Formats: sequence, structure tokens, C-alpha cells
Amino acid sequence: MVSAMVDVADVQGNILQGYRHPRVRHLILSVGDAAEARAWLGATVSGAGGVPQVTSQAPWDEKPSTCFNIGLTFEGLRALGTASQSLASFPTEFVEGMTARALKLGDIGDSAPERWPAPFDKPRDIHVIVSVHAKEVADLDRVQRQALQNARTFRLLGVREGFNFHGDYVHFGYHDNISQPRFAEIHDPEDYPDPQEMAPLGTVLLGYPNNFEGLLWHVPDPVELGHNGTFNAFRILAQDVVGFENYLTEAAKYLLTQAGVDELLPPGAETKIGAGLSREAALREIVAAQMCGRWRNGVPLAVSPDTPDPATPIPEKQLNNFDYAANSSCPYSSHIRRTNPRDAQIVQRVANNSRRLVRRGIPYGPPYDPAKPDGVEAPERGLLGNFIGASLGAQFEAMCTDWVNVGLQDPRVTGSNDPLIGANAPETGWFDVVLKSGRTFRLRSLPRFVRSRGGAYTFLPSVSAIRYLGSLGK
Amino acid sequence: MAGLADRFEQFVKKLPETKIMKFVAGRILVPIWASRTPVKPQPGGPHYSVQSGDNVQRMMNLIMPLKDKSAVGRAEAALAIAQNKDEIYAGLDNVGTVHFARFVIVGENICMFSVYDGDFTNYIRDFIATIGCVFDAVVKLVEGGDAVIPSETHVEKFIDWVHAHDLYQVSDQATDLFRDIEAVNGETAITRDLRLLPRDLILQLHVNPNVSLGSGYRAYPGYSVAEVRKQFGIGW
Amino acid sequence: MDDTPSQNCGAQSPSAKNTASPDPSPSQLVDAIIEDFPDHRPGTRPIHTIGIGVGGYFEASDIARNYCRAEHFGGQRVDVSVRFSNGSGSPVQHDGWNDVRGMATRFHLKNEAATDLIAMTLNGFFVRTTREFIDFTTAARQQPVKKETPWQKIWDMLQLKQPLRDPYPGQKESGDAGTLEYANAHPFAQLAVFQAGSIGAPVSYVRAAYHAVHTFIVTGEDGVRRPVRFAWKPVAGVCNTDPDAPPEDDYLQGELRERLARWPARFLLMMTIGESGDALDDPTVPWPAKRVRVVMGTLILDTVPADQQAAAEHISFNPWRLVDGIEPSNDPILLARRDAYEDSRKRRGGTACPFNRSGT
Ligand code: HEM
Ligand code: HEM
Repeated sequence: MVSAMVDVADVQGNILQGYRHPRVRHLILSVGDAAEARAWLGATVSGAGGVPQVTSQAPWDEKPSTCFNIGLTFEGLRALGTASQSLASFPTEFVEGMTARALKLGDIGDSAPERWPAPFDKPRDIHVIVSVHAKEVADLDRVQRQALQNARTFRLLGVREGFNFHGDYVHFGYHDNISQPRFAEIHDPEDYPDPQEMAPLGTVLLGYPNNFEGLLWHVPDPVELGHNGTFNAFRILAQDVVGFENYLTEAAKYLLTQAGVDELLPPGAETKIGAGLSREAALREIVAAQMCGRWRNGVPLAVSPDTPDPATPIPEKQLNNFDYAANSSCPYSSHIRRTNPRDAQIVQRVANNSRRLVRRGIPYGPPYDPAKPDGVEAPERGLLGNFIGASLGAQFEAMCTDWVNVGLQDPRVTGSNDPLIGANAPETGWFDVVLKSGRTFRLRSLPRFVRSRGGAYTFLPSVSAIRYLGSLGK
Repeated sequence: MAGLADRFEQFVKKLPETKIMKFVAGRILVPIWASRTPVKPQPGGPHYSVQSGDNVQRMMNLIMPLKDKSAVGRAEAALAIAQNKDEIYAGLDNVGTVHFARFVIVGENICMFSVYDGDFTNYIRDFIATIGCVFDAVVKLVEGGDAVIPSETHVEKFIDWVHAHDLYQVSDQATDLFRDIEAVNGETAITRDLRLLPRDLILQLHVNPNVSLGSGYRAYPGYSVAEVRKQFGIGW
Repeated sequence: MDDTPSQNCGAQSPSAKNTASPDPSPSQLVDAIIEDFPDHRPGTRPIHTIGIGVGGYFEASDIARNYCRAEHFGGQRVDVSVRFSNGSGSPVQHDGWNDVRGMATRFHLKNEAATDLIAMTLNGFFVRTTREFIDFTTAARQQPVKKETPWQKIWDMLQLKQPLRDPYPGQKESGDAGTLEYANAHPFAQLAVFQAGSIGAPVSYVRAAYHAVHTFIVTGEDGVRRPVRFAWKPVAGVCNTDPDAPPEDDYLQGELRERLARWPARFLLMMTIGESGDALDDPTVPWPAKRVRVVMGTLILDTVPADQQAAAEHISFNPWRLVDGIEPSNDPILLARRDAYEDSRKRRGGTACPFNRSGT
């Protein structure tokens, strides 16, 4: 079952490599008629009968104008008539579903599944999540029409639409999508200078070795169904941009009152942070950078601790070329260091590279314009995130429980949560801004900036698995 | 007549202590009520939580029934541990989140009791990654163990199996037992009479015969292994 | 909360919420308690009526000030006055009956200032709001006690149900049946009612643990604010009387006099630090034992003042008598206690807080 070679034409697209289309539409579906839904799945393999063809990871000659992909929840697999033996071979976290794991994911309070809007308020009805990527809205509409041409096959429960309003930038104003696991079978290491080893395929595909020496995730039965498949944590993450920006201001004001702030920002160094910035404005950017581990333009603190615009500019390609030495300038509590400690010393020695995730996210909602503050009815904005890995338990959940929240990986952060995405609350939330000397300034009253507004655990079957599911019951 | 009534009252007062009443309660009343108002077994281990205090110093109490229940079988288990002790300790050093761990033989069971930080599945997964191979020698001796070894290629099943052998931790506050019962059995299981708390406890112990009574005492709650080690200056 | 005057003995009234039916007033709360004890004697406390005042001092631990900058946690010895009490509002003393006990502590600070810490043997309260308090006290009115017949007891046994406790010799009325009924309909009240139902009687006032129940916000020397709860842990250990033996009515005060004449009694003050997600403003929910727990100091009790009129009767405590470094949380019960205690003090002519300029 373990093969070093992978038939990329059998793997759904957007897993090993991203599409980089600016628009996405997720159609959240419930199976209306199981036989028709199976026939529909079968048809997506070839695109027969006007049903959109599922996009695989096979290399393109020319980038298609639309891509079409399918994710299935556990309830979806059941609704399609998957044999119970086969259902039983799926891992517990997928069987239970995202809402049952709320406490592990920090989905509490406002983020609790009971507070999610439709269709995520009825998680058991969600069977299939179809994702369409395209450049134009018209293309999304067309593919949606084609996919849902037969009204009986599925019930459309809801739609979520995302738009990359500014290239790879996300709300909060950071450059995202820089660090991803890359695979020797797919990527040329020359193109991705990164001291981290290439990731084994088993990081993201079932049926291959992963980063845990000797450990293999169980491939759901039968092999046609499980092999080359993977799991996805689909998350709708609302971002409180106003709250975030306000907090940066408060933090900067507080830092200005602290003796020793000059070590963080030597007088006169404001211009290194940005042209024409006041001291407060420069400190805001420093706090923002320390929270993420990268300046908003993506330049890593580990490489350029003092300025987002080093004298010798860092080419895009080089933005991942770093790791965490013991005296690294990247705060151990920053978002990127929590979610990927790289080679840094962490408490769980065996886990350093084992929890890596493929991330495919596109923002939703209007970009925030500080010049035009939101009205009373602030629009919701955030990230439609897909966090993909061969084991939800060992990767996505493992990262959320012990690293993003709680912070067990380093005693200096234990008891605190990820400053950007953690389940923080002002009563107890804190974040340590780290100085070069190793001294810290503790920022308190850290609120929660990212709230969960929906989501589901899906299985992303291989193309053969889609064919297999299409043939069930025949 | 008053004398008779008094004697009856005295008799009833002492009744619960009598052999016959104990027999009736244990052998007749419990099965009757267990079938009339059944409760499902409670899952083992601490509840999920995002609060950091709940996520450090968690207890695992594994009770694993030996296949061979004779002294020979128990000795086999003792040897399996003894032979692998150094390997297991080395593994735990690298898992990094274990405060205490010990093996105990109680009756026909080999038990592993530990105090660990963080998520249970992460703990067991890291445990498999570092000492799976040697721990399999112990699991092999346990009922049902064959189905989950080698642990390295049965990771998910192994974790679920260990979880299933971890003891239910009865709620620390007496009346929270009601909440546990409702959580597992649904709204219909809501007990509307505080005086029935003893019965709920009895029925729960009927389906969870071995339990941990509460989540345990901690002298210095709230700190992880690494925080303690760092504070003492002994490295983490 | 920051601008709350630190010496506050209840001049203002709690901010009334904008809801249809108004929250009960402080005096309505006190009336509600009095109605639960028809034999209430004017001029005495309506609840925790019988008590004894003792004296001693408190010595903070070496790290207490890191967490709370209040004067009494500074490390120097601080004189204290403590009043131990039986929970009942009846003027008739029944030390041996099942009852909650109280321990109210006054720390005497510099310049005649003072701060109070009021604690009881339950680790949670019955209700979360003042309206629930009114409902609860209404349910808790005295009813004639019914003794279960032997047949009823057998029926209890067959149902694996906890039998009702037999009334004490001479006990005619009790609020137990009403509170039980209330708890059955209100899950939040279950823990306190259950515990109060079997709390028993301590062999000594200093052989029980006392909880201050509410959350307070303490500020450390470094300005960091933390939500905390306090509890007194008796160094002598917890010990109750035999519940099957016939109860004695009058032994607790004598025991304490004898004990303190021979040797001081000590309590450890433990402070638990809450986390967000804990019941910060809900006094019915105890916090998990897994929270960071700080040793704040030791209380040493060594005298029983001769003037018990002053030490036990006139002295008046208020959970809002706080000093810089300790603030109340937003717990509605804690809020309500401020003015209810002041109202009760005025009615019975208790000693006013010296800082209450508008006081009587
Ligand atoms: C709205 C919510 C989120 C925002 C705004 C956000 C933002 C960012 C940004 C700006 C980066 C740096 C760019 C890069 O290195 O590629 C990043 C990296 C990353 N994020 Fe997030 N993120 C969010 C949610 C999450 C969640 C929920 C997870 C997983 C639990 C996650 C896991 C990661 C990982 C693994 C990296 C790469 C770290 C590395 O390899 O160095 N993010 N995120
Ligand atoms: C809304 C809820 C409550 C009300 C209305 C209330 C009311 C009262 C009143 C009127 C007094 C007599 C005060 C005096 O005349 O000096 C009193 C005394 C007392 N209460 Fe409360 N109480 C409440 C909650 C609590 C709680 C939660 C505790 C737990 C710590 C508590 C513990 C005590 C103690 C120990 C005393 C006796 C104090 C002394 O020795 O002087 N009470 N209560």
C-alpha cells in the first residue's frame, strides 16, 4: 500500500499544490437522492452529461478557468450508501465531526457550534461540500448551475464565497500563503529555498509514510476509497479587524509607558519600520509582526528582526528560508512559530514536524478600510480556510489543542493562546513581546480576534474513490 | 402498640445495614433499576476543555485485564514492564509532557497510571511514536490487545482502545454527576429529584465498575512539566 | 470597577437593571430572610444569628503581595477580629444540628481602616441573582416537618433513594422540604442544597473549612489584576460530630473558649486564581481544583474578648468593605450583599463602618 510514487492525476487538485484562483465558492449540500448523487459523483470523474469534471492535481498545460472539487462529510459518506464496515474504518474525529470536537478546537462562547449560522447549525445535514475556484463570478455561477442541474440530487443548504481582494494578503493586512509543506514528488527544491526537509507525501495523502518515523495512518477501507485521499478541516473564521487594530494601538500606547521600550524601538528607528511613522505607529507594526512572526509584508522576524524592508530586499521566494535558532528574534508565541515550530526546541520533542498542514484559504467579506470605518452593522469578514492533512487528529486538532491554545510546546508560553487566532479572553489573555536581550513585555487583556462561524471535517477522496463511490450499489 | 411501632421503626432504621437488605439491593434492586432507568457508560479520562488549568496535570488511569489471570500471567506482565523499563522511561523523557507514570498490577489487571499535560490523543500518539514498539510487548498480554498491535500501524485504533480503558473520572462536585449523565444519555435522563443522586451514582457504577473518584488532588495545580522543570532550573 | 471607592460601606444602591419587574431592594432581601425565620428577634442578625467573636492576627505569606497589594498581604502582622456563627436565623441555639457555619474576618489596618472577608462552610451559594434569591427564600419558608414513616423509608430503599433525615428531637419546622423542591426544579441550586442537606455539625468552629464563595479581583504589586476566590483551611483539620448521635445544642462556643485558652487555632488562607471560562460571576459554581492555588497567609486566633456584645453582636461585616488591591467582581449576589448587609446592620443597630459618612 505504501508506494513512493504517486499518480497525481488520481489526487484531487488544490491539495499538493494550490490553484491560486482569486475566487472560491463553497456549495454546502445535502444528499437528496442517494442513487442520483452516486451517479452524479460517477459523472464528475469524466464530466459526463454536463456535470462539471472534478479537477485533479495532474499538471496543466494551461490553467483552467474553473476548478471543481468535492469534499464529503462522514454523514455524507453514510448518505451515499457507503458500507458500514467501511464507515467504521474512518478515524474517530472524522466520524464525530467538527462540532463534536468544539472544545478541542477552541470553539467556545461566541464561536461555539450552537452559535453558528445556517447551514452550520445543522451539521448532520451537511453531506457534501463542493468547492469551485475561478477568476470570474460568472464562471462560478456557470459551474454551480451545471453542478446542481438536477434539483433532486442535492439540496443546496448554503453558499460561502471568498475573494482574494489583494493577492495573498488576508484581513489583518498580512501576506499569507508563504509557508506550506512542499513535496519532493511535486516541487523542485530549487524553487523553494527552505531549511525544512521536503514533507513526506503522507503529510497530506493517505497511504504514504508521514513525518512520524514508523507510524502509518490507517487508510480507510476499501483501499480504492481511502488511498490518495485526505482530510480537510473546513473553517469559516471571522476576523475582528477593528478589534485587532485597536488592540495594536492600545499595546503600542502601553509599550510607550514602559521603561526599556527603547530596546524594542530605538529612538529614530521608526523610519526603519515605515516611512513617516510616529513612534506609536511604529510600535503597532512591531506588535503586529511579533504576533504573527512575520511583518505584515511577509518578511520573517527570524530573518529581519528590525525592519520589514531590509536594505537588501528579500525576494518572495526566500521568505521561507529560515529556522528558529535558540536566540531567534521570532517570539515563541507568534502565530507561525506556534503552528510550525520548525526546528525549534519544543517540549514534545517527537512532534516538531509531525503536525504540518497544507493551508488553502481565501478571505471573505469586504476589505477593511480604516479611512471608512464600519457602520453600526459591521459586515462580517474573515477567512474561508481549509486545513488539510492525512490525519485530522495528528495535525489539525493536535495543533489546535496543545499549541494554538494552551501553548504546551514552550514553558514560556504555556497558559497563553495564539495571539492571532487563539481562544483568548480579555480577563486572562496575554502575549509576550520579546526583546533582543530576551526580556519580555507582557501585553495583557488580549481579546479574541478570530471567531469560528461554521465549518466541517471533510474527506477529500481521490478520483478513483469518487468513481468507486459512484459505483456503489450497482 | 407503641412498643411494636417503635421496634418496627428501629428495625427499618437498621435495615440498610443487614445482610439481607444488602443482598436485595445489590442483586435485585440494582438490576431492576438498571433496566428501568438505564444509563450508558461514561467515557474515560478528563473532559475536553480549552482552559489551560484543565489541560495540564491530567490523569490517565488505564485498567487492562490480563489474558492470563494466573500468577504466571501476572509475572509475565511484570517482566514485560521490567524488561522495557529503561526504554519506556527514555520515551517518556521525549514525550515531554508526562509528570508521573507508573505500572501497577491490581487483581487480574495490569494498570498504567499517569499524569500528563495536554490532549490525550497527542499524548498517546507521541507515546506510540517513541515507545510503541516496546509497549506492544505489554499490550500483547492484555485482552483485546492483539487487535491494536503493532501500535505503529494501528495508531487510531490503539488510541481509541487506550481511551476505552481509561477510567471515568467521576465529577468533582457531587451533583455534576447529573450533568455527566445528561451529556451521555440525553435530556430524557434528567433526574428531577436530588434524592435520587445515590441511585444515579449506583447505576453509573453499575456500568462503569472501575472509576476514578474525581480528578484528583494536586499540590501545585496549573503548571506543566516543562514549566516546573524550567522553574527549577533543570532544563526542559 | 476601577473607580469604586475602596472604603465603601454601602452608601449607593446597586445599579438597577432595565428589566420589566424591578430587582428586589436591599430591604426586601432582608425581609425575605426574616420571613424564613418567624422567631427572628428584632435587634439581632436575621441570619447567622448565633455567634462568637474571637481575636488574633494574620500573617501573610512571603509571596502574597505579588498577587495582591492590599495592606494585609504585605507581610507584617495584622490584627483580626473573627466572628464564627451558625447559619440559622433562629435565636434558639442548636449547635449540633445540620447547619452551614459562618466565619467573618475583619483585618484591622493602619489608620483605623479595615477590610472584611466573609466566608461559610458551603463552597457555593444557592442562587445566582437577587430574584432567584427571593424565590429561593420563599421556597425555604418553614414548614411543619414530616417524619418519614418506616414504610416510606422502605419504599425509599427500594428505589435506592436517599431517605429523609429524621427531624431532631423537638424540631417542629424546617425549610428543607422547600429548598429540596426548589433544587429539583433549578439545577444551579442543586449543589448547595445537596451539600447543605448533609453538611452536619463541626466538632469545633475551627475544625471546618470556610469559603468566601464569590470572585474578587486582586491587583498585584506589578499592577496585574486576577480573578480569585478565597478559602480558609483549618490547620486542625476538618472534623464533624457523629450524625447518628443525639445532637447537643450548646457546645461550640465553650469548646472555642477552652481551646483558645490552651493553644491558638490556625487557618491557612488559600487563594485560587480563576481562568476565563470559569464561573467568574456565578457563586453557585465552584471552580475546578485544577486552578493555580496560592498560599496567602496564616490566621492565628488566640483570644476570646470578654465583651461579646461588641465582638459578636454589634460588630458588622460587609463583603464590600475592601481596600486598594481587592475589588468585587460583577457577581450579582456579591453586589446585592453590599446594601443588604448595611440595611440589616441599621435595623439591628450594629456598629457602623467608621468610613461610612452617611452612616447612622
Ligand atoms: C483567520 C485566521 C488566520 C489568519 C489571519 C492567519 C494568518 C496567517 C499568516 C499571516 C501566516 C504567515 C504566512 C505564512 O507563513 O504562510 C500564517 C501561517 C500559518 N498559519 Fe495561519 N492564520 C489563520 C488561521 C490559522 C489556523 C486556524 C491555523 C491552524 C490551526 C493556521 C495555521 C498556520 C500555519 C501552519 C502557518 C504556517 C507556519 C509556518 O509554516 O511557518 N492558521 N497564518
Ligand atoms: C443575596 C445573598 C445574601 C444575602 C441577601 C445575605 C444576607 C445576609 C444578612 C442580612 C446578614 C446579616 C448581616 C448583619 O446584620 O450584619 C448576613 C450575614 C452573613 N452572611 Fe449573608 N447573605 C447573602 C449571601 C451570603 C453568601 C454568598 C455568604 C457566603 C460567604 C454569606 C455569609 C454570611 C455570613 C458568614 C454572615 C454572618 C456574618 C457575621 O458573622 O456577622 N451570605 N447575610
